Amino acid sequence: MSEPRTHEPDPQVIAAPERREGPLYGVIAEYDTPGELIEAARKVRDAGYTEFDCYSPFPVHGIDDAMGIKRTILPVLIFGGGCLGALGGLLLQWWCNAYNWPWNISGKPAWSIPANIPIAFECTILLAVFASFFGMWILNRLPQVWHPFFRNERFNHVTDDAFMLGIEKSDRRFDSVATPQLLKDAGAISVEPVHYDPDPGVRMMPKWITAFIVASTAFALIPFAIAAKARTSHSSEPHVHIFPDMDFQPKYKSDQAMDLFADGRENRGQITGTIARGSLNADDLFYRGLDNGQWATGFPRQLELNEQMMKRGKNRFEIYCTPCHGYDGRGNGAVPQRVAATGGAWVARNLVDASNPVAINMPNGQLFNTISNGYNTMMGYAAQIPHADRWAIVLYVRALQRSQNAALEDIPPDHRSGIQMPEAPNQ
Amino acid sequence: MSALQKSLHPDEKYKAGKLGGSLWKIGLAIAAVFMALSLLFGWREGDHWKRFLYAYVVGWSFIFSICVGVFWLILLHHLVRGRWATAVRRIAEAMTMAFPIVFISGLAFVLPVAFGYQDLYYWAHPDAALCLEKVGTTCHEYLHPSLVHKLGWLSGGFFLVRYIGYAVLYTGMAAYFARKSRQQDESGDPQLSEHMRIASGPAMIVYSLITCFAAFDILMSMAPQWYSTIYGVNFWGSACVGGFSALALMVLGIQRTGRLTHSVNPEHYHDIGKWMFAFTFFWAYTAFSQFMLQWYGNMPEETVWYKYRLFGEWQWVSIAMLVGFWAFPFVFLMSRWTKRIVPSLVFFAVWQLVFHWLDLYWNVMPSYDWLPSFHDKAKIITGPLTGNIALHHVGFSPVDITVWIALIGVLLAGFGRNLTGNLIPVKDPTLGLSLAHENL
Repeated sequence: MSEPRTHEPDPQVIAAPERREGPLYGVIAEYDTPGELIEAARKVRDAGYTEFDCYSPFPVHGIDDAMGIKRTILPVLIFGGGCLGALGGLLLQWWCNAYNWPWNISGKPAWSIPANIPIAFECTILLAVFASFFGMWILNRLPQVWHPFFRNERFNHVTDDAFMLGIEKSDRRFDSVATPQLLKDAGAISVEPVHYDPDPGVRMMPKWITAFIVASTAFALIPFAIAAKARTSHSSEPHVHIFPDMDFQPKYKSDQAMDLFADGRENRGQITGTIARGSLNADDLFYRGLDNGQWATGFPRQLELNEQMMKRGKNRFEIYCTPCHGYDGRGNGAVPQRVAATGGAWVARNLVDASNPVAINMPNGQLFNTISNGYNTMMGYAAQIPHADRWAIVLYVRALQRSQNAALEDIPPDHRSGIQMPEAPNQ
Repeated sequence: MSALQKSLHPDEKYKAGKLGGSLWKIGLAIAAVFMALSLLFGWREGDHWKRFLYAYVVGWSFIFSICVGVFWLILLHHLVRGRWATAVRRIAEAMTMAFPIVFISGLAFVLPVAFGYQDLYYWAHPDAALCLEKVGTTCHEYLHPSLVHKLGWLSGGFFLVRYIGYAVLYTGMAAYFARKSRQQDESGDPQLSEHMRIASGPAMIVYSLITCFAAFDILMSMAPQWYSTIYGVNFWGSACVGGFSALALMVLGIQRTGRLTHSVNPEHYHDIGKWMFAFTFFWAYTAFSQFMLQWYGNMPEETVWYKYRLFGEWQWVSIAMLVGFWAFPFVFLMSRWTKRIVPSLVFFAVWQLVFHWLDLYWNVMPSYDWLPSFHDKAKIITGPLTGNIALHHVGFSPVDITVWIALIGVLLAGFGRNLTGNLIPVKDPTLGLSLAHENL
């Protein structure tokens, strides 16, 4: 630690000031080290003073204890803020998701605690931090833009290298002689009185600042007022376009009218007599399920009918077909069940029903065509499912039809034990 | 109180004396008695030591994780040039020097696995090996195809090699910091602190990686088809709860013998308590992160792990974890006073150690019923994906407890062996700051 700074001894620290001063605010003493500041604070506290404070460039461990400051209630505020955040976050989600606007997403429950934890957690943090930050400001009476000690020149150094202790005159034990002496005895390297400014106007906040705060607060409310008015009133005026060149862009969208071409369409169709590369699709059997103009009964020759294709078909079937036709093809998928549960009617074809064998009797080519282009109310799946996958689905549907109408004799003899045939087939 | 620096109290007893030797003997005695009991109980299970080894993995992970947790304090302390912990750092160093004994004791389950024991880890079972050759219909009964790709990593020999790797790295790093610290006791060279600080950065990286991988290998591979990338972090959080709790108890135990009575005060306990609090929440945070992503993703190969823990009998253990390992300590350790009043902190240290063990138990034991075992009366041929929840019992066995206590004995013996000489780094340049430490 550095040597104590020398200071010209001044026995009459509260001597009459040379320049004109306002009333006395208090005395301020400077100490050389944080340790000495703590010692001085303890002495001042033991002498019975309460209206004093310590000023240092950094937090000094142990100073609270030395000054006799009670522990802050800030932790309680933070805990309360955190609890409020947790409850508020949960309430917000409950109100939005489960009460005011429940929305079925993939059948997931509208109200489910695990899904709500992250939001509740963030709200807890947010309000705990708000309570911590603003609570600290309020408890410390911040922001404080001005203080009488600012008039002391050495006081500027408390944000840099000075450790100071100030006692205010408002303390009932304050004495213009004994108090400075106490601070000196506690090891101060300087003790100085601090007076208010002689001009009381300096202590007031300038009127223009007050006016500015009031005016800007009022202006800030205007957008909200406009929004509130718009929500509850009618207007015959067109919308206000703040960025008209974004709202009206110089371009055409699909299927708009356009004067440039003779047919008046913006869309340009395929040029007659041309075909896109790779779109010839000349193979009637593979692309349309036709064999000499009739529905094909076999499969295209380029497809190898193997277990891999069967698995692919099962996989695609379970993605695209089971929602209506069900996993076993009996037409009892999730959609018909759901519609029936809500009182409606949604008939999905039973693909494997031997008593009404519409689908069983369809040739392969017609099944393929049904997948491609739809049947009755069923939409075509040509856009979603590539041709080879459609054939794989046909293969799998054939397997389903076989397996759902199988007899015990169809099972290899060594696998028959333990299998019981139902009395009558379902449906 | 007010000084920023303090020197060692003249009456302070900071020599270990016979303390280490006594602890070594007590630890070995506990280990011997309870291991004998465990062997008896394990033999009586009549399941080719399966239950015994499962309990052993839980107990061993417990003592291993305590060393891992305490070692983190040493690394962090050097890395950030910490001050407060200097007064308790020598004790922490002695605790981490239990690594060699911990790793030797772990060979009891690693060697059987390396040399063909099949019933502890599912990936060591012939069913798993079968799948390597043939991903066919029988295989899917037992095993998710995703495991097939892991069997190169999860094989007995490589498992042993990695285990030895962890042992060498942990022991080597812990020994480096303990030795440099003792050298400073002799020479008082402040440059040694600088060496340790420089080494702590790379050591922290190695430490993080091997902690994650050790958790993957020893605990996560209990359910080999399941995976969670945050698992290692979650284990580490739990390990630090255990480590700081054990450190608090260890320091208090040494103070009870009349040593370090002036140097370690509630300020240090307060800081240890803060870490316990922080890691209690950190554990819950990572555990919930792991749960929520898998719950939301709803993929069968991920949710299966929780299926066995959130339904059936295990759900009560899960609820106990939520309340006991997180909610209760979280609310009560939040207060300044529960950390500063030493008996209260001790209560939470013991509490958290018990729940840390339960955490490991909860991680390991639901896997117990997955394996078809030799004595399985119900013939549960269940793979990791097809087991019936109703067949998964918590099934507490006395061997779970006795092995745990026996391994705690091993850990205490490991602590005692290194508790020699000065119990405080007497010439560490930051010791004065640590002795005068005060929380704001």
